[in-house]
Amino acid sequence: MIFEINHKTHYRYSSPVAQSQHLVHMSPRVVRRQTIRNHSLIVEPAPAMRYEGTDAFGNPVVILDIEVPHREFVLHARSTIETLAPDPINLAITAPWDRVDDAVRTRDGHIDLEVVQFRSPSRLTQATPAIADYTAASFPADRPVLEGALDFTLRIYRDFKFDPTATDVSTPVTRVFAQRRGVCQDFAHLAIAGLRALRVPARYVSGYILTRPPPGQQKLQGTDASHAWISVWAPEAGWVDFDPTNGMIVGDEHITIAHGRDYDDVSPISGVLIGGGEHTVSVGVDVAETP
Amino acid sequence: MTTTAPSLAGSERNLLEAYRPPRAPGYDEMLDAHGHVRPHWRSFLAGLTDLADDDRRTRAQRLERRVRDTGIAYDIFADPNKPSQRWQLDLAPIIISSGEWRWLQGALTQRARIFDAVLADLYGEQKLMRDGLVPPDLIFSDGAFLRPCQGILPKAGHLQFYAADLARSVDGQWRVIDNHTETLAGIGFALANRVVHTHFTSDLFKQCNAVRLAAYFQDLQSALARHSGRDNARVALLTPGPHHPDYFSHTYLARYLGYLLVEGNDLRTRGNQVYLKTLEGLKEIDLILRCVDGRSIDPLELDAGGFDGPAGLTRVSRKTPQLVVNAVGSALAQNRGLGPYLPKLARHILGEDLALPDAPRWWLGDKAARAHTLGNLDHLVIRKVQEGTGRPGQAALGQDTRSLAADQRDILKREIELLGAQLVAEEKIGFSTAPAFDGSRLAPQPFAIRFFVAHTATGYQAMPGGLAMTVDPAKAVALSAPDGHTRDVWVTADAEQAPHVSLWRPALETARVQRSQRAIQSRVADDLFWLGRYAERADWIMRVLRGALRRVEDVSGPATGRRAARKCLLTLLAPPGDEASRSATRDPPADAEIEQLCTRVITSFSGIRTLEPTFTGLYRVAHLTRDRLSLEAWQTLSRFRPGDTWAKSLLSGSPATVLDALDEGLASVAAFNGLMHENMTRNFGWSFLDMGRRLERAFNLSEAVRALFSPMPDPDVEASSLLLLLELADSFITYRSRYRLDPMLPLVLDLLLLDEDNPRSLAFQLAAISDHLDGLPDARQGVSLPEDRRLILSLLTNIRLAEIEVIAKEATGAGLERLMLQPITLLPQLSTAVSRHYFNLIEDAPHRLHTRSEPRR
Repeated sequence: MIFEINHKTHYRYSSPVAQSQHLVHMSPRVVRRQTIRNHSLIVEPAPAMRYEGTDAFGNPVVILDIEVPHREFVLHARSTIETLAPDPINLAITAPWDRVDDAVRTRDGHIDLEVVQFRSPSRLTQATPAIADYTAASFPADRPVLEGALDFTLRIYRDFKFDPTATDVSTPVTRVFAQRRGVCQDFAHLAIAGLRALRVPARYVSGYILTRPPPGQQKLQGTDASHAWISVWAPEAGWVDFDPTNGMIVGDEHITIAHGRDYDDVSPISGVLIGGGEHTVSVGVDVAETP
Repeated sequence: MTTTAPSLAGSERNLLEAYRPPRAPGYDEMLDAHGHVRPHWRSFLAGLTDLADDDRRTRAQRLERRVRDTGIAYDIFADPNKPSQRWQLDLAPIIISSGEWRWLQGALTQRARIFDAVLADLYGEQKLMRDGLVPPDLIFSDGAFLRPCQGILPKAGHLQFYAADLARSVDGQWRVIDNHTETLAGIGFALANRVVHTHFTSDLFKQCNAVRLAAYFQDLQSALARHSGRDNARVALLTPGPHHPDYFSHTYLARYLGYLLVEGNDLRTRGNQVYLKTLEGLKEIDLILRCVDGRSIDPLELDAGGFDGPAGLTRVSRKTPQLVVNAVGSALAQNRGLGPYLPKLARHILGEDLALPDAPRWWLGDKAARAHTLGNLDHLVIRKVQEGTGRPGQAALGQDTRSLAADQRDILKREIELLGAQLVAEEKIGFSTAPAFDGSRLAPQPFAIRFFVAHTATGYQAMPGGLAMTVDPAKAVALSAPDGHTRDVWVTADAEQAPHVSLWRPALETARVQRSQRAIQSRVADDLFWLGRYAERADWIMRVLRGALRRVEDVSGPATGRRAARKCLLTLLAPPGDEASRSATRDPPADAEIEQLCTRVITSFSGIRTLEPTFTGLYRVAHLTRDRLSLEAWQTLSRFRPGDTWAKSLLSGSPATVLDALDEGLASVAAFNGLMHENMTRNFGWSFLDMGRRLERAFNLSEAVRALFSPMPDPDVEASSLLLLLELADSFITYRSRYRLDPMLPLVLDLLLLDEDNPRSLAFQLAAISDHLDGLPDARQGVSLPEDRRLILSLLTNIRLAEIEVIAKEATGAGLERLMLQPITLLPQLSTAVSRHYFNLIEDAPHRLHTRSEPRR
């Protein structure tokens, strides 16, 4: 499928900002089943310095330093991306989850750090014994790791209620677990915390998902949003994506922007300002399928 | 044999009376297993024995006072009524022989070389993890592993600073109990200890032929200069600020090495540079000596809540990786879990055997280690792999599992299974003892030492000394000093030592003539301005109190003097702009009333011109500008420290006692002013200090004149008022030598208001402020006069044009009232205008902005 994605973020400040620096993860990374046809990131006002590079997880990152006083700041990312449906996987043939730990090796027998690094808890994915126990219910001894991962994904989908008012950007995973509510990023963090407690490598994926209007209605502009899900590793299949918010294995309607240990690593825009007072932000995302 | 003088032997026996009997278990630094004094302790012990009992005691007492006056480890933010952690320094040092030091130096620098290589690999190729020499889970679960620094740290040069906490276990072997690779780990404390200690032990120090520290710091200085890659580099020591427990160490070291002491807010990034915000605008910084945690140094790429450094520093470091030492991310190497892997790493990296191992330790991310630990919980202490960089001696003691109930133990086991990668288990090692002086005798006390290592032109070097602390062996697994008892560490030399060099006096080859003004941070200018104001305010209030109490004491004096004094006291107590207090009754006040008013001025916490808040403010800003004050200047202010006994003598005593105390206080302020006047470079910092003082003095004088002469008093009260005013303005002698007459209103007003040659007059203060403002850069650079210049021009012109003889003759005093109201109204505005003009470069603190994805389903 081919998608046109428009992601526009508009900040308005109550008093002038003297300097602002931003760290932006809005440019899509190259992943196996995804081709970037086109991408541009427009910034207003023009930054004094724009650094484009790759972060420690291989994601494209843009760092901006704006030195002119300003009261508004606009970031507009436009991408054309083609996705392919992932190869069908037989989850049942993946290695037993309790033997994955020793299998994280590269072909030449060295420890595969690209995978191992996603096995340790990060700041936003610290598990508790209760979370570990909840997760363990999907992983009886010898169960194939991705079979367990799908079961776990579906349980989160069933047991947790989607509720944007229940959490904010700083809600810890323990509270999400206790109140059984949250948004996609909370469910991703919870799933990752649980999997890593069992030493199953899991990573955070940020991106977009195609949404469809209710039957018979026109799709509205700017009603889509950023999305987050998880990726779980198995020796036979490599990384396979699961979406706990929608209770599914990820197909060709998810578009990947970046992956990391948790949200902190890949937050779309973060910034440090001098001045500015109060701010309001409006975000508009459009994911359109092009024929 | 009777070759030993009996008196000496007797004296030595007295000194060692409380010391351990021979063949006591454990290891003692001074006595060997047979109770004989070890050779490298003999000179010291002989020297100490030679001193008279009194001399030893006096030295110990003076040492204690000096430690207090220097302000080592004084915490300005601590509650003055609670006993804070005291810092004590023992008269007896710990002595290390030259032979043992050679070994220690080799062993310590070997560890520095290992950590240097380990860090470069972990932030670079990561071969050590791939090959299984360092467990990946150990690194990836450590919050100190800062991913954005990947690729930067290996280009930043060597690990510059390393420190290790060592203890000698009962078998006589040294063991490392903790490593410090993040910051300078409180080296300033060790330096201050040495400077203070040798004041009272220099004879013993010489007799022992102990090694001085200056050469080490000189090598360090030139290493940093070379590292910055520039002559005359602008080097900044970055501190979290006065709230940090190590702040004293930071200020002391910055002064000693001659570096700027800066806080995160003093810096900002722009493009590919870091700049210091100064009165003259932004100035480039060439090297940052990092004394803040790496993760809180850049809110943009590292911890979002950390504002101890300028946002964007990581970005700048990508272009200039050598900018920060230690490079950001270096805390990773102090992860305690690395301990068990060091022997293998030493062989792998250096091809050497590890000389100095860690205390027995298990990293609980390892399955076998976990099993061992769960089976031996009773003998082990559980600690975190990483802890912050607090003050030396305040290390956390870990969780002693013996005291745990069965259910708590189960919880702990569960935690170890889940979060083992972030924990270690440790065996307690014993601690050797060394003599501590208790005022009359030497007694053995267990201790641990922090040693410091730095990278210099000749490779790694260990500082020939250290910071020793008395530990509680029942609890300690780390350098923890529950009672703040510290000791200097002396290393004896074999050879004759080079003549004394000190960094306070650099050699001519390394010195350069520098006339350019050292950059002044806007924040520091602000603090100095208030230092001037508070010092002057304290002086004035004490003068008013002294004037009033003298009039109570002098029973034969005229009652009118007390009436004048009451007016001045009421002015101090009145809220600004309050007119009610001015309509005081005309009855001469009783002594009791004056004393009561004095007590209110001394004790009241409310009001800005009472003594208590003024002293607190004075001490606080002095603390904030510590690095700009000489030791002597700082010491003169020590009696204004909240909770000092001097302040208590102001509260309790009779008028006579209080008068004595006030004299002492005034002498201290005078000494402080004199030291600043004589010693401070005439740069912009001086301008602000002096402006603060002038502004405060002008205001107080104007208020006093108005209080005393408007409305115009009766003739008999007028005479007393003139005397009091001359006394407050410290111009009585000037007046007498000039006129040889009883005070007369026009003459006194001319001397105190208009005479620009009298350093106590109003016109003198205003002219001085005007001169200072003219010399300051106009950061605004507009066409019209800035607000501060306009105000001072108007004030100065008005006073210069005043016709004092006409005004003095007016029966109503209305002219004088008008003349005085102008400075009383405009001076506060001037103060505001100056801060708006110069200190506002301290922009709003930066803050962080976040967006969250709010998906819909």
